[in-house]
Amino acid sequence: MLYSALMIFYAFAGENQLIGRWESKPSEKGNVTGVVFKDSTFEGYVNKKPFVSGVYKMEKDTFSFVDNGCEGKRGVYKIIFFSELDSLRFEPILDSCDGRRAGMSRLVLGRKK
Amino acid sequence: MRRYIPIIFVLVIVIVVPVSFIKKEKTSKEELGKLLFFDPILSQDHTISCASCHKPEYAFADTSAVSKGVTRKKGSRNTPSAMNVSLLSSFFWDGRAADLEQQSLAPIENVSEMNLPLQQALYRLKNNKNYYRLFQEAFADEPTAKNLAAAIAAFERTLETSDSPFDNWKFSDDPNAVTDGVKRGFALFSGKGKCTSCHFGSNFTNNEFRNIGLFNARNLKDSGRSLISGKNEDVGRFKTPGLRNVAITAPYMHNGIFKTLKQVIDFYNDPGKVVPNAINRDSLLAKPLGLTTQEKKDIEVFLHSLTDKRFHEVSKRK
Repeated sequence: MLYSALMIFYAFAGENQLIGRWESKPSEKGNVTGVVFKDSTFEGYVNKKPFVSGVYKMEKDTFSFVDNGCEGKRGVYKIIFFSELDSLRFEPILDSCDGRRAGMSRLVLGRKK
Repeated sequence: MRRYIPIIFVLVIVIVVPVSFIKKEKTSKEELGKLLFFDPILSQDHTISCASCHKPEYAFADTSAVSKGVTRKKGSRNTPSAMNVSLLSSFFWDGRAADLEQQSLAPIENVSEMNLPLQQALYRLKNNKNYYRLFQEAFADEPTAKNLAAAIAAFERTLETSDSPFDNWKFSDDPNAVTDGVKRGFALFSGKGKCTSCHFGSNFTNNEFRNIGLFNARNLKDSGRSLISGKNEDVGRFKTPGLRNVAITAPYMHNGIFKTLKQVIDFYNDPGKVVPNAINRDSLLAKPLGLTTQEKKDIEVFLHSLTDKRFHEVSKRK
């Protein structure tokens, strides 16, 4: 009940819940993927090594962005928050960059406190 | 003298007895791999080790266009850095090894490198008391090809770097970690320079094979990936190398043809001017990039910002 109330509140309050550092759990090989979201930019990294930079827009639950890979192609994803807004995953809406689409579709991130 | 006997006895108990109970940690695969990496025991005439060509002070790369193996025999390709390899999906310039374990054994047997048949290498290790014990500790087994490969690969997987000015800027969010030139260079690297089309990822490689125009079947005869795949479209293609610590791993390209980063950037700016008769050059490089002198300098300083702090002394000399 509280979770639903929070979701509705944040969706309408317009507060950007993405801002901050998010990280995956270690993969089987021990690799950790993370993203730092600022107001309109983000930096992605693997094992503390930056690998992608980009700009984004967040409208309700729709995340659209352009990064420095994928030849400038725009990606549009629905962001699904869960665990009381402390975890998220991406559901592709539109992305013609196959490698990125595959990578983002299996990415689950948790908020770093 | 007699009165000192109890004191001596107590001292023996206090000092010697606890020492005898200290249990030595078992040698790990990584530690064993490190010993092997630096030991010439794996070369035919006991003169070179992996580290002879993968020099630690140059990010585990070599400073020659091609390295010399046993009996000073020259290899055919430039020695790549052995650092930041844990995320790679293929190894060697032509990608003939699918994992680090496969890669780690090949130079031992290569006649131009260490020239030691694997069975002889294992014979030496089995008959070396120290190594026999260390393999038992690390693997609970005697030296085998599988264990030897696993040990060297485990050591190589420890050679990751993530403390460069660029990392401090992007990962640690410190805008003062790099100069404005680095920031402009990164923007050019990602944009006008089109570098991220191939050098994309946490180690600045997308692990693909590309023909950048260094094959002309005349003076540049190494056809690269096609020797492994047998495919025509792979003629002249080589694995895109990672760029971490690139400022200290000169010379560059599969044949070490360029001595400086400036030469590399000049080449990419207009490859046809440097190698006019290249065969099958990638369409990404079909047109000159049109970089200005300042833009080329900015890309170069950005590449320098990828040098891990542990190498800054070497970097200053470059």
